[in-house]
Amino acid sequence: MIRIPFLADRVHLPLRWYALARLLPCVAALSVYLAALAGVGLIAVGDRLHGWDDSLAGTMTLQVPADTSTARLNTVVALLKQTHGIVGVHVFEPAETARLVEPWLGGSVAIDRLPLPRVIDLHVDGPAIVDLTDLRQRLASIVPDARLEAYGALLAELRNAAVRLTSTIAAVLAVVLLVMVLSAASSAGTALLIRRDMIELLQLLGAKDSHIARQFEAQALQLGLIGGGAGAIASALTILTLGSAGLVSQLSAPIPVEGIADWRVWVVLIGAAIASGAVAMAAARVTVLRGLARMI
Amino acid sequence: MVRLENVAKRYGTGGEILHDVSLVLEPGAFCFVTGASGAGKTTLLKLIYLAETPSQGVVKLFGSDTADLDRAARAELRRRIGIVFQDFRLIDELSVSENVALPLRIAGTPEGKIRERVMALLDWLGLEHPIDASPTLLSSGERQRVAIARAIVTRPDLLIADEPTGHVDDETASLLVRVFERVNQLGTTVLVATRDIGFTRRFEHPRLHLDRGALHSIEAVAQ
Repeated sequence: MIRIPFLADRVHLPLRWYALARLLPCVAALSVYLAALAGVGLIAVGDRLHGWDDSLAGTMTLQVPADTSTARLNTVVALLKQTHGIVGVHVFEPAETARLVEPWLGGSVAIDRLPLPRVIDLHVDGPAIVDLTDLRQRLASIVPDARLEAYGALLAELRNAAVRLTSTIAAVLAVVLLVMVLSAASSAGTALLIRRDMIELLQLLGAKDSHIARQFEAQALQLGLIGGGAGAIASALTILTLGSAGLVSQLSAPIPVEGIADWRVWVVLIGAAIASGAVAMAAARVTVLRGLARMI
Repeated sequence: MVRLENVAKRYGTGGEILHDVSLVLEPGAFCFVTGASGAGKTTLLKLIYLAETPSQGVVKLFGSDTADLDRAARAELRRRIGIVFQDFRLIDELSVSENVALPLRIAGTPEGKIRERVMALLDWLGLEHPIDASPTLLSSGERQRVAIARAIVTRPDLLIADEPTGHVDDETASLLVRVFERVNQLGTTVLVATRDIGFTRRFEHPRLHLDRGALHSIEAVAQ
């Protein structure tokens, strides 16, 4: 058995867990695998939300039909510049708009012949400041078919969706933690029952509860770390596989686009493995101390 | 050293195994407790070595009322008691020397001293079998000597032996009592329980007799 220095008493009591030792690493591996993927998912959701915030929060887009006259367009621009809350107005030239849509239409289409709408990019001081209803009415009085798209509401919806996803992931993590605690506690509790005679003997020879509990803690930590390590490696392989298959960027999978190269992913993987050992150790300690208190 | 005052013991709702037992054992004493099977000898010993708590009465050990002690303090007191169990209770997963060394390891004795003391003790007890062997390979007599070695290796203040003569022939039983007497001469208080009253008459040590839970020969036992 590997000795864990900070837990290793000079006295190693003969309290091995036998077959039970096989169960805990398996549960730990599965728990860490799920927890690590969930944790990495949280990072990805956070990243995307941050990106959406940065790119969309201060932006609105106005589209006016292609056949709108220059005079009307100028009137619209003048109206926009006078509108409280709008701090920047950029009218896309037809060539710029064509470049923007080219990736979707392909090179074979004669874009300059298409009736592309005139696009006006608006920078706002804050979406709440602009009175969108009033602005839409005034725009409609100049160009009836003008379409104003404000991303604030969309962003709010995305944020809500992200919060719901985060809550779901947190719930998964809580369940994983609970399973891990129950597994370690039940393994330690059963080991305590199986070894009851020997533990009673050790107590009669003068062993203190803390001393006996440390033997179980050390084993639980070791088994938790072994299982957690295996789970973390499996998670890393999953992330690598998704990354190398290009699925990360294509499917917007809940993994950072940088995948395994992201240092935060390593923090999550290593942290989950260490947490697995720590949780197993703490659960075993509490269980054993409570069990010993009912003995002689 | 050991003082029991009006002690009774019952398990659950059953009848009393011991009732109104009072006993004083002074430091340095050597005493037999006799009685038939089921008389309550083992229960009496368990109360003294803190494996049981009394249903009624007071058990004082080394000057402390055991009812007032927390679990850590009880563990500390147990380290001052050596016990030879009726069924030896050796740990088969450990070697002979590891079994004997266990109380020293629990007490935090330095490893060098442990080896030295274990070797000397096993040699003194005449155990010739390889000390790294499992106790399962030993004869009953050898297992008993290992159990005695484990009980006295810490040089306890109190040695309690429960039916140590039950598994051995007459000659070996006498030799065992000589071993306990030697330990007693070194300052350890000794309490030996046996159902063989005739055997105890060969020795000049005081006897207490238990009959159906009552201690009949109540006396202060002093060396």
